[in-house]
Amino acid sequence: MADMGDKAREEFFSEAHEIIEALSRDLLQLDASKDKGPAEPELVNNIFRAVHTLKGLAGLFGAARMSALSHELENVLDDLRLGKLDLTQRVLDLLFRGVSIYGRILAVEKGVRTDSLNDIDQFSRELGELSDVGVGPEAAPQLSYELDPGLLAVLTEYEEHRLRTNIEQGQSLFKLRVIFQLATIDEALNSLKLRAKPHGEIITYLPTGEGADADAIELDILMASQVKLDALRSLLGNDRTKIEEVPRRAGSKDAVLIASVPHGVPTPFPAARHQSSVPPGGSAQPKAAMTERRSVLPKASATGSLAAVEVSLRSVTQTVRVDIRKLDLLMNIVGELSIVRNAIGRLTEGVRKTPEMREMSIELYRLHRGFERHLADLQSGILEVRMVPLGQLFDKLARVVRQISREADKDVNLVITGAETEVDKVIVEELSDPLMHMIRNAIDHAIEARIERERVGKPAVGTIALNAFQKASHVVIEIEDDGKGIDESKLVKAAVRRGIIEQSEVSELALREVLNLIFVPGLSTKSDVGELSGRGVGMDVVKTNISKLGGIIDIYSEPGIGTKFTVTLPITLAIISALIVQVDGRTFAVPLSSVQEAIWLDPGALRKIEGQEMMTLRGSTLPLCRIRELFGLTLQKPSQARPYAVVVGVGARRLGLVVDDLVGQQDIVIKPLGPSLKHVKGFAGATELGDQRVALVLDAPALIEEAFRQGGDTTKGVGTYG
Amino acid sequence: MRRILVVEDSVSTRSFIRSALESGSEPFDIVEASSGFDALRLLPRGPYDLVITDINMPDINGLELVSFIRKSDRHRSTALLIISTQSSEKDRTRGIQLGADDYLPKPLQADVLVSAVDRLLSSRPVANG
Amino acid sequence: MADLMAPEANPQKKNSKLRGPRVEYLAFRLAVDTYAVPIGEVREILKLPPVTEVPRAQREVIGVVSVRGQLVTVVDLRQRLHLSATDLTRRGRILLVNGAEDEIIGLYVDEVLQVYRLAEAEIEVATNVLGGKLADYVVGIGRPETALLILIDLRPILGRADPENRDAT
Repeated sequence: MADMGDKAREEFFSEAHEIIEALSRDLLQLDASKDKGPAEPELVNNIFRAVHTLKGLAGLFGAARMSALSHELENVLDDLRLGKLDLTQRVLDLLFRGVSIYGRILAVEKGVRTDSLNDIDQFSRELGELSDVGVGPEAAPQLSYELDPGLLAVLTEYEEHRLRTNIEQGQSLFKLRVIFQLATIDEALNSLKLRAKPHGEIITYLPTGEGADADAIELDILMASQVKLDALRSLLGNDRTKIEEVPRRAGSKDAVLIASVPHGVPTPFPAARHQSSVPPGGSAQPKAAMTERRSVLPKASATGSLAAVEVSLRSVTQTVRVDIRKLDLLMNIVGELSIVRNAIGRLTEGVRKTPEMREMSIELYRLHRGFERHLADLQSGILEVRMVPLGQLFDKLARVVRQISREADKDVNLVITGAETEVDKVIVEELSDPLMHMIRNAIDHAIEARIERERVGKPAVGTIALNAFQKASHVVIEIEDDGKGIDESKLVKAAVRRGIIEQSEVSELALREVLNLIFVPGLSTKSDVGELSGRGVGMDVVKTNISKLGGIIDIYSEPGIGTKFTVTLPITLAIISALIVQVDGRTFAVPLSSVQEAIWLDPGALRKIEGQEMMTLRGSTLPLCRIRELFGLTLQKPSQARPYAVVVGVGARRLGLVVDDLVGQQDIVIKPLGPSLKHVKGFAGATELGDQRVALVLDAPALIEEAFRQGGDTTKGVGTYG
Repeated sequence: MRRILVVEDSVSTRSFIRSALESGSEPFDIVEASSGFDALRLLPRGPYDLVITDINMPDINGLELVSFIRKSDRHRSTALLIISTQSSEKDRTRGIQLGADDYLPKPLQADVLVSAVDRLLSSRPVANG
Repeated sequence: MADLMAPEANPQKKNSKLRGPRVEYLAFRLAVDTYAVPIGEVREILKLPPVTEVPRAQREVIGVVSVRGQLVTVVDLRQRLHLSATDLTRRGRILLVNGAEDEIIGLYVDEVLQVYRLAEAEIEVATNVLGGKLADYVVGIGRPETALLILIDLRPILGRADPENRDAT
């Protein structure tokens, strides 16, 4: 289909993405369980099926590279699930590499990334070598069960393999005959699976075509288990679940059949025959009927069954996938509506001041309040839809930990708490890179080698903890390691050598300020602090990325004990409260989350130290930044009034933004500036304020960063933490 | 209108099949099932003129479905088309032995699918809805 | 970057694209000359809504506007093409086009004139006679009736939003 539509492509990407994520989760589980005995067959089969499905999709949508990769992976996994290949560390490593290559291919296909993908061929070769060493076709062992050819015929190759393997391992075979109501079959089956899992392996499910009406279906479930029949009956049996043991071959050539009796041979399940809850009018010999082409036309009880089928049909799909851009669009509409709401509010105020319109104003006021309330509900409803659990991201990080720790040859245990904490989807996506970076740093530089850890009396396996929790309207994510911590003295030395601080200031720095040096650009470079401090490669970039999300990052470290980064983020980016200000007749918005207060600028309190304007605010020094000069605005409208300083703060730093006027507070929808403006610093985006006017939203963290970087010596260490 | 049941656990593959079938000259009533169980649920709404099923599905696989349909009087005249990857040749052979009328290898091609469906349906009377 | 747009190679490539049936071009005025782009490239023509200037942006960025709730960056096409620019006028229009990275860009032009359907014979393929910056984006000259249209390719114009790269040409 050359003219594959955008929608089909979207669907393809979205499904492929989901499969790859599930694949990655299953692989992690496989990795975690491999030391605890043989791999769980179902898990391996799920992984096989994921790759199998990806291969089909890739072929369908002409994704040639993905198709080729899937083909090789599928061969390896097929060998693995059919027992032709052992699950070794090397195999696992290759599978993990496969997942990450899938991710890259997908990004390239989507066009969000350019990547030569040169290494795929090499990877495919390595995979090919693996599957070549397979032991060849499975030698069919003598089965101690004589299996009905009719049963063997409906087993897939894989199911047959599982059946044989279980028999070889001395498991007994059982047949569970269960009647399921169609409407509730999924739940009922899942619950049965869960209960059965600890006691054995389910090989397959066979619809008998019997013993049920149109609302229900009867299944024969073939299960291998070591549990005795009586025990299994009490564990899994009930009046809708009849369990029989499949007898072993008595040694004679007479077939003892496990499923059905094709040619009138007496059924070996007399008990089942009588116990099956066959509806009136149904067959009295359910099993034998299987190959007799009996009628399975709805029986007498079919009346009224249509409704049940309808219900079950409807219940099949309860979720829809939504493009996040559609939610953005809805959010935009909410934004527009809040502009309307504000206008109505002003109107209501106006009407109230007119005495003769008193009654109308009361009515208007009531309507306005109602509108306001519903709009708030609508807004929070949409926000809720955007929320996804951090677990998705943490799964990905778990994979990274595994990979990097292997590369770095270090043993690291990842402990995750709070994976269910929900955050806006957009934030989760943007968080991926910075968190991955911090984790990489922790493994590469912080966690010591095993020998070193043992020498200092730490557990040989290092620990990295990822904790997430909600705190008011923020989400906190902690990234903690029990590595060597940050050597402050080396950090300070590096900072002095690079001229970031003066030697004379060193003694005045608090521990926290020292540690925060790690976020200064140019300091946290690999050649320098990275190696010395154990943490810090590219931490300035991490900080910038987190600031872009309106977040703050903080650090705490103790030498020899470990390091903890705390990232605090808003739960959502979509709607924020902002202070609307004016400079030279231009309107700007400042997110309230970073505004501490707004004050009148007292000319008497102003000082200039080495070119930097300062004022004293309640005893401490506040550096000032005149927006007009910062942005080189040409005067449109000279302001007569006394200017204001909007005090913004991020972490421990504060800055006074000098503006002409404060307009008020307003909920705004921030929209990002287009890619063509991405190099323009100082703005978090723009917002529409009504009458089509767009106002730029100031990026307070970036402005603070800029002021402190450019502000010269005066803003560096002096009183900025007051 | 001819009724077709598509049993396939991948949503985009289902969409692909649907749009391929809808691109042909004959209009079809297409019902989608996302698993073997789903198919069992939907079969009583039949009979269908054609069931197109994947083989490799969890729980109830395509072979079991083929076997079930072939044993049922109600679905006796239903045409059965299985789709599977080249690699699972053994499974495909079993499908034909169990009574599937034809198979198509994955990845599917729209024109191949449409002509296979035409071929299977042209020789059959319309099933009674 | 600049090499890809070398005058020898580029117009030839565009040339082959123009062969075939008649193509519709939207003609507009920039300063004193008439320019044209394939009409398919233009999503929409708008009157200039209130523009909010973006401090620190490249010189040719007039600012941002809101089009039905969408933020659109407006670029002065005259400045982007290094033509002399005058003030924005009442006749000025914004052409919404697709920029790099899926961004919708508004191109400011002095006046929108009309749509021409050009046959191949009416197009004179640009040669490397046009030196320097022009050669980067001029595909050819269209001569329908008495008019003279400078046919331009928007891709090199929109693809290089980065100011440093632009000046390196």
